[in-house]
Amino acid sequence: MITAAHGHDGDASHEHGHIPAARMVRVRVLRQDVAGGESYWERFEVPYEPNMNVISVLQKIAALARSRDGRRVAPVAWDCSCLEEVCGSCTMLINGRTRMACSALVDRLVEEDGEEIELRPMSKFPVVRDLVVDRRRLFRSLERVKAWVPVDGSYDHGPGPRISPEEQEDAYPLAECISCGCCLEACPQFTKLEAVRREDESEADFEKRRRAAFDSGFVGAHAISQAMLFNGHPTGKMIADERLQALTAPGGIQMCGNAQNCVAVCPKRIPLTRSIARAGRAATVWAIRKLFDR
Amino acid sequence: MSDSSASFLERHQFLIYRLFSLAGLVPVGAFLVVHLLTNASVLAGAGTFQSRVDMIHSLGPLLVPIEWAFIFLPMLFHAAVGFVIIANGLPNVGSYPYVGNVRYTMQRATGMIAFAFIIWHIVQLHWMGKPLGGGQFDPHRAASSAAAALQHPLVAILYAVGVLSTVFHFANGLWTLGITWGLWTSPAAMRRANAVSVVVGLALAGAGLGSLAGMLTLDRDKAQAEEERMEKRKLQFEPAAVGSPEPAAHTGV
Ligand code: SF4
Ligand code: SF4
Ligand code: FES
Repeated sequence: MITAAHGHDGDASHEHGHIPAARMVRVRVLRQDVAGGESYWERFEVPYEPNMNVISVLQKIAALARSRDGRRVAPVAWDCSCLEEVCGSCTMLINGRTRMACSALVDRLVEEDGEEIELRPMSKFPVVRDLVVDRRRLFRSLERVKAWVPVDGSYDHGPGPRISPEEQEDAYPLAECISCGCCLEACPQFTKLEAVRREDESEADFEKRRRAAFDSGFVGAHAISQAMLFNGHPTGKMIADERLQALTAPGGIQMCGNAQNCVAVCPKRIPLTRSIARAGRAATVWAIRKLFDR
Repeated sequence: MSDSSASFLERHQFLIYRLFSLAGLVPVGAFLVVHLLTNASVLAGAGTFQSRVDMIHSLGPLLVPIEWAFIFLPMLFHAAVGFVIIANGLPNVGSYPYVGNVRYTMQRATGMIAFAFIIWHIVQLHWMGKPLGGGQFDPHRAASSAAAALQHPLVAILYAVGVLSTVFHFANGLWTLGITWGLWTSPAAMRRANAVSVVVGLALAGAGLGSLAGMLTLDRDKAQAEEERMEKRKLQFEPAAVGSPEPAAHTGV
């Protein structure tokens, strides 16, 4: 589709027999210099190239370090690593929607939303600088639900149990989570928690307070899904109850409002609502069991 | 004080949210279904409606405590938790206009409309005098008194909006309840459950709007005559008053 559009452009310039003026990509970035600081818009313009994505646009902006009106400005900061939608670090709001910058193609964005591309940092996490956000809460959620297989120990546990192909097929999609946080960003039930260090507070106290805030906030779709992944794993199952305990603790699965945005925005198309419903079922059974086992 | 009460709510968050979800189905939702079907019986005539009302009122002095225990208190609980949920959410249909998200937002909007409507509905039929065509509901003149209270066009429109909001809230809530409790987990099962919820919603919307239309088109003089006839008969056979005209019709309600 993109190559076709490009080819068409080329044909057109041949027909008219003149070189078209260099096409520019226009970008509007919501910037912020420091954590907790004021945010402001800055506009940029970089020469268009075929098959550009938002990261390559940002790279050009960094190289240019000039705003559209020609002022020298500090380059825009952003996060990225893999450039192939597997590391999960480049999440941002592109034209108002959460998605991975490395797989957001300029041609498509222009086609769908018009000439100027709008970039904003994620709104559910504290901004560190420009498009870089602090996603510690996302990883804390994974800790809360113990999203791992407990195999630590000082002796050899022997080979793990076999996993049937059916189980593998069921689990694999969940294992594809890249911790990008898109599901959290789009979730109307997941709201921003930004702790600010008080002047009279020690670093340790501040950390404790932030942790406490994280631990009563909504865990989020990604963590619920990971909990289901590891509760379905034959070795991971060994601490299934601990995960259910976490999922029914304050900020647990009950906070989900079934808007199902998470599943709609997940770049890995993880069946999050299936995980959420399964977690709901497991929580129902677990709560009833707990009631009678007391 | 407020700190410890906040932590109480937080500690029992899962239980409270699950009870909230359950209360929406039983007793509050179940009552809605019975109520709308009872009202729709007015389409079969003032007499049928009157006999259904008589059946409910045969509870006599127990009616008020039963109403409080099984309708008002659960509803107030559902509403109170609902408002907390609404206050903590951050609707974003503008950025993510997906069907599920629209429904999420509608669920909250219709919940608030339903709450306001139900309060007004009770006040209007019980205590509100003449303004805005209010009128006291008289259990012995069930159809004619209810019809009289609904005659003002504005009242009729507000009732239609209120009833449709309430029905949407219930039908959509039915679907989300199944996800919350884990009754339907796969996307295919959710789709099937959704179809059922839509059918339930449409049927209840039909019953609700049907009742309203039935009340608005009622011949009130004829209805009142019928009601008076029934009352005389009841006074004659006092002990057997309970729905004697057509007992078979009651079983479905
Ligand atoms: S579940 Fe999907 S959207 Fe959420 S963090 Fe994982 S990959 Fe990203
Ligand atoms: S389904 Fe639940 S977790 Fe997913 S977006 Fe909606 S409220 Fe958030
Ligand atoms: S850079 Fe790794 S996901 Fe975009």
